[in-house]
Amino acid sequence: MLAKILFLLCLTHTSAQDLCKSDTDDGYKVRLSIKTALGDDAYTWNDSEQFLFKATLAFAMMQYMPEETFNLSNILICDETERVSFWFVVMSPQNQSQLIPKAEVENAVRKSRNRINSAFLLTDKTLEFVGIPPTFAAPVVYTTPPWLIVFGVVIGAVCAGIVAILISTFIQKSRKTKEKENDLVSDEETMRSVGNGMAGLGDKDGVYNQSFVDDDRFTKL
Amino acid sequence: MEKDARPSWDNPMQFVLACVSYAVGLGNVWRFPYLCQMHGGGGFMIPYIIMLVLEGIPLFYMELAIGQKMRLGSIGAWSAISPYLGGVGLASVVTSLYLCLYYNVINAWSFWYLFHSFQSVLPWAECPVNSNLTGYLEECEVATPTQYFFYRETLNISSSINENGPVHMGQALCLLLAWLIVYLFIVRGVKSTGKVVYFTATFPYVVLLIYLVRGFTLHGALNGVKYMFTPKLEQLANPQTWINAATQIFFSLGLGFGSLIAFASYNQHNNNFEKQAIVVSFINSGTSIFASIVTFSIYGFKATFNYESCLERVRVLLLNTFDLSEDAVSINNITEWITQLNQTYPDQIAGLGAKLESCDLEAELDTAVEGTGLAFIVYSEAIKNMPVSQFWSVLYFIMLLLLGMGSMLGNVTAIITPLSDFKILSRNLSNETINGLVCLFCLLLGFGFTTRSGNYWFTMFNEYGATFSLLFIVLIEIIAVIFVYGLKRFEKDIEDMLGHRPNWYWKIMWVAISPLLLVSLFIFYIVNYIQGGTPTYQAWDKDLGKSVVTEYPAFGQAFIGLLLVSSVSCVPLTALYVFCRRKQRGSSTHESTVPTLSSGV
Repeated sequence: MLAKILFLLCLTHTSAQDLCKSDTDDGYKVRLSIKTALGDDAYTWNDSEQFLFKATLAFAMMQYMPEETFNLSNILICDETERVSFWFVVMSPQNQSQLIPKAEVENAVRKSRNRINSAFLLTDKTLEFVGIPPTFAAPVVYTTPPWLIVFGVVIGAVCAGIVAILISTFIQKSRKTKEKENDLVSDEETMRSVGNGMAGLGDKDGVYNQSFVDDDRFTKL
Repeated sequence: MEKDARPSWDNPMQFVLACVSYAVGLGNVWRFPYLCQMHGGGGFMIPYIIMLVLEGIPLFYMELAIGQKMRLGSIGAWSAISPYLGGVGLASVVTSLYLCLYYNVINAWSFWYLFHSFQSVLPWAECPVNSNLTGYLEECEVATPTQYFFYRETLNISSSINENGPVHMGQALCLLLAWLIVYLFIVRGVKSTGKVVYFTATFPYVVLLIYLVRGFTLHGALNGVKYMFTPKLEQLANPQTWINAATQIFFSLGLGFGSLIAFASYNQHNNNFEKQAIVVSFINSGTSIFASIVTFSIYGFKATFNYESCLERVRVLLLNTFDLSEDAVSINNITEWITQLNQTYPDQIAGLGAKLESCDLEAELDTAVEGTGLAFIVYSEAIKNMPVSQFWSVLYFIMLLLLGMGSMLGNVTAIITPLSDFKILSRNLSNETINGLVCLFCLLLGFGFTTRSGNYWFTMFNEYGATFSLLFIVLIEIIAVIFVYGLKRFEKDIEDMLGHRPNWYWKIMWVAISPLLLVSLFIFYIVNYIQGGTPTYQAWDKDLGKSVVTEYPAFGQAFIGLLLVSSVSCVPLTALYVFCRRKQRGSSTHESTVPTLSSGV
């Protein structure tokens, strides 16, 4: 009787282990890069870490399927390597020989990815589930893009500068024309005494062609 | 008594700084390092300095002399030398106009990048995520994030010059800002430009110095500097090296645009421009060399970073494929591991195929880039990997802006000065209005460069708008000065201004060497153009994630022809026009001269 019970237990155990193998259809390969992530603070991968992994995965499955109760024994791990990579499968709590399908496992992992990562102090890159793409953080949507704000500031300053210069030029010009009006009145009296000679040449805007100026005629004194 | 005396610089230093600000531009940063790298590193200095002495300084001196003597913009100055040569000035103005149209678009891009640097994560550091948040956008995956940001988010480029699209609003706003700033700097002409150049000429050096220190302290920078500057003297035997040195000196000094004539026209009559010409030319070349040291150190950093990332990727690949423990394979023993694994598991190694990259530091260093690709893609890639990258990004783009704005000052002055010399315009419109209208006109046409195919038009203008025409213009200039105006008269004018005649070095250069060099460059350009077949451009292929060489369509080639012909033809057409006018007037002037003489008595 006892032998029969023992035999049955061994059978179920081995058959359960049989479910977990490399390249299985319903399992995933996990790869951890602990030393890359943590450097000197890296922990060694041992049985207790494996225990933690089973626990977090059970947690993830329960988050995804709240109606079922997952135990540590439902998560099977096999083919561990030095890399720290292994395969895992999830057994259904009701039926020990049936595995939870791949798609469900994937969804469960994706839903609780952050929690799994933080349990191991790792990130999406250093704790890889081969075949499950990480969900990227949603891009930040700004109401006003930041570049537009800086642009607004700069263009406001430039426009203010232009307006200031144009106004000051305008003020200067109006001052000059007022001065000229006062000067012209006194100039007109002096102009009449000079004569016609200057007036004739002054108005004509002939082209002064410098290339034909022959300076040789004037001696240098 | 003159009513409006010609405005002038407040002091000679402003003039020198204006010339420095104009000559030291983006080409010093993004063209010279490329040439240096392509033509034998440190050895390129030899043809560069030789060409500077044979061609650059004499032509620079000549343009300054003309401007200072004639005290008019390019059109007026050349008309004064000979009425038939007014077309040379007009050709300069047309070329400057083309340059103004497309050059400010670069400043618009710099503004765009500058404003986008004020974010916690630089937008070109990471790829944006796709709609269902499972991965990055496809186009970004195939290319790099910096390329994606430039081609897609900055330009929204179409796949060829035929496909057009709407104006990119962000670009249009930045272009508006760029033109407003240019207007702010030139609104009062020389009086405002003179104050601005104190800043635009000096601050880029401050930034370059900061970057030099930063560059040298980056990991792997010295690899770049050592590799690039190791002279490969065999390149000196390649004629292309000498041709490129000559063209670089020529374009870098900004000869032929009329800007130098315009700047010099505001000088005092006795300003010592001989010393200033030599100083500015050497400062320009020195800046090129200085900028290339900085560029090479950044290259070295980027190449080392990429090389080490490549090694890291290979390491992780080996670890994952063979399930080895993490500290078994380190970056140093990767090659040993690969040979070992090749013997024990040859099939699996072969199965990895292309994923097993071969990482080569020299191959990374060999990637030579020039132009906008260097400034906006390669540099931003290097910057995103530096610590505190936002600060370095802001600093870098401010420097690019100052260099670009400084050159724009010269470009716009080359257009405005001849326009304000025309009495019809300056009597009816104030200076500020003329300047504003020019800026507005260039802005409106410049919006064409902000459309989806705008970058292709930009490249067309960049390559054909100002290169060939300038050679032609400067060649005509030097022939005009030496043979039409006469070397003796030119010497006398210089003696009048400086107090001594130019010595034998200048005379030999003007009469023989420089024209000879220009003619040979001119012939080389024509031969190259004919031999090159259909002109091509780089079109961005968004599926491949890289640029593909594409031929210009018929209308594109026609437009290139139009660009070239429109500026070059000004010279013969104006000469013809003046000839016809003189013939017409010839009969009527005899009658009108008599009455004017009698009224003057």
